[in-house]
Amino acid sequence: MNRRDFLLSAPAASLIVASPKAFAAGPTSIRLIDSGGTTGESIAAAYIPPFTEKYGVRVIREAPSSLGKLRAMVESGRINAALFELGSSTLAQARELNLLEKLDWAAINPDPMFPEARDDYGMGYQYFSTVMAWREGNKAPQAWADFFNVQRFPGKRCMSAYPHYTLAFALLADGVELDRLFPLDVNRAMRKLESIKSHVSVWWKTGTQPLQLLKDNEVQYAVTWSAGIEREPGIRSTFNQGMYDIAWLVVPRGQDPATKDLAMKFLHEVTVAKNQMVAAKVLPLSGNSPQLEGLLGAKAFQSFPTAKANLQAQFKQNAQWWQKNGPEVNKIWSNFLLNA
Amino acid sequence: MPDANGWRALPLLALFLIVFDYSLGGLLAKSVNGSAGLTLQYFKEAWTTKAYFRVFVDTLRVSLIATVVCVLLGYPLAYWMRGLPERRRAAVMTLVLMTFWVSILVRTYAWIVVLGNAGLVNRTLLATGLIREPLTLLYSEVGVTIGMANVLLPFLVLPLLTAMLRIDDRLLRAAASLGASRRQTFWRVFFPLSLPALGVSALLLFMLSLGFYITPAILGGGKVPLLGNLLDTLINETSEWSLAAAISTALLAFALAVFAVFLRLNRMMETKS
Repeated sequence: MNRRDFLLSAPAASLIVASPKAFAAGPTSIRLIDSGGTTGESIAAAYIPPFTEKYGVRVIREAPSSLGKLRAMVESGRINAALFELGSSTLAQARELNLLEKLDWAAINPDPMFPEARDDYGMGYQYFSTVMAWREGNKAPQAWADFFNVQRFPGKRCMSAYPHYTLAFALLADGVELDRLFPLDVNRAMRKLESIKSHVSVWWKTGTQPLQLLKDNEVQYAVTWSAGIEREPGIRSTFNQGMYDIAWLVVPRGQDPATKDLAMKFLHEVTVAKNQMVAAKVLPLSGNSPQLEGLLGAKAFQSFPTAKANLQAQFKQNAQWWQKNGPEVNKIWSNFLLNA
Repeated sequence: MPDANGWRALPLLALFLIVFDYSLGGLLAKSVNGSAGLTLQYFKEAWTTKAYFRVFVDTLRVSLIATVVCVLLGYPLAYWMRGLPERRRAAVMTLVLMTFWVSILVRTYAWIVVLGNAGLVNRTLLATGLIREPLTLLYSEVGVTIGMANVLLPFLVLPLLTAMLRIDDRLLRAAASLGASRRQTFWRVFFPLSLPALGVSALLLFMLSLGFYITPAILGGGKVPLLGNLLDTLINETSEWSLAAAISTALLAFALAVFAVFLRLNRMMETKS
């Protein structure tokens, strides 16, 4: 915009601001902050078009979505997003910090969905799994005990820089049973992790890192998201002893009613199985509809986190435990990582 | 007192005060604002937590090494450029400046291709039989230091070259005519004259490197956290803003102390030339 354009548009803009009519018409767009990457693309492809078509309201996406960003937004009182993506333990933390608007489930009027994806303050919109993966040509691990055994399974490791996606696996490797994981024995997990620390090349912060590092032969074994692995030639993975978790959509506190109303309408679209099928094409992760397996067919669904066989092989992340113990564990964990 | 022209800078100054210093004030306030009034508990926590202190020391060490590497590479480069005919110097200058045109992200990722296990350096060394196992260049302090030095080098070469160009050639000729060898001329005339500029540029580099975030995040593999990365964790993940504010304030105080030295050196340089 050059100076002349600016001079011309300034009075026009003030007219819009002053006109009560324009105000009464409600927002013409809402903003959604997601975690970016393919996840963001799946939202853009699946849920935004039907919403915009129905209500004539555009959805502007932005990434990434950290807890810090949400907190800054709510505490400064400048609420510029109607919807925000959070992980299950950050959802718990955000509730504790009173950063969230209560959802109006009557207004959302959801299609059938998994009850565990329904929270007073958030809608679980995506199931994702954290699993072990390796490069073909290396010995295939069957369990975390193998992954942690660097003598019998030599090679460099790549693990998550977040304790939420690491501690439980260390305990499984140390012999804890799948159904006895929580409450996590943090000290025991840290002891086990010390034993593998020097073999970990990279502690990843974004989910795209481990796959890339496997492809580049920079590491041979990695903890990674399940989505997209089966499309990678030369990379293997197993859901065995994997962990499934839910990603949430929330509404930042301090929303004006018109925007909140639109957010509820958007969330309804997120529960529609037909829309979730579009998302599943972009990214093989399950939405919150139990009908998805039937719609996609068991065969197509076998690489999805909520396929029956996969659910049986995995355990569920325990967000309640992390909410209670997160701050304490984070301290121990950053000590561990900072002295890496 | 500012002259008539100086007053015109007032809007800019006001902008700085509001946009920059006001928020900085907020940060300082957060670092001492406890649940029960003023407190130094966050500074105490930052100081007594071994891991944080270690990150501070690591940051200083990596910054120092990156600065020294830049000086060792940049000084000869600038000296060589000074001796070039003007047109060729302009051409070399363009090459140095070109790194500014490429995003720091791209440059940092490029190092992954060069330094990785299957990267350019390791493949070459393996092919020539100099090594048997790939060297660990990436995801280590070595990688971070190389990446930082790459980003920082132009910040040293540019001011240094400007200062070197100001050194009067007649002084060098006078030294030669009095029987000094080329080496003596360099060490006893040229180098001392360029030293203040070198000191100032090196300090500038050091201060810049204290705040690096992207490079250690990408090339460190999560194993070489510097202060910028620690702050990111505290702000975005664990939501410990007061502690982050205390560490930021301490870093700011340290950088200001270095800046004070910088100003002194700068003044020394000006009185000399």
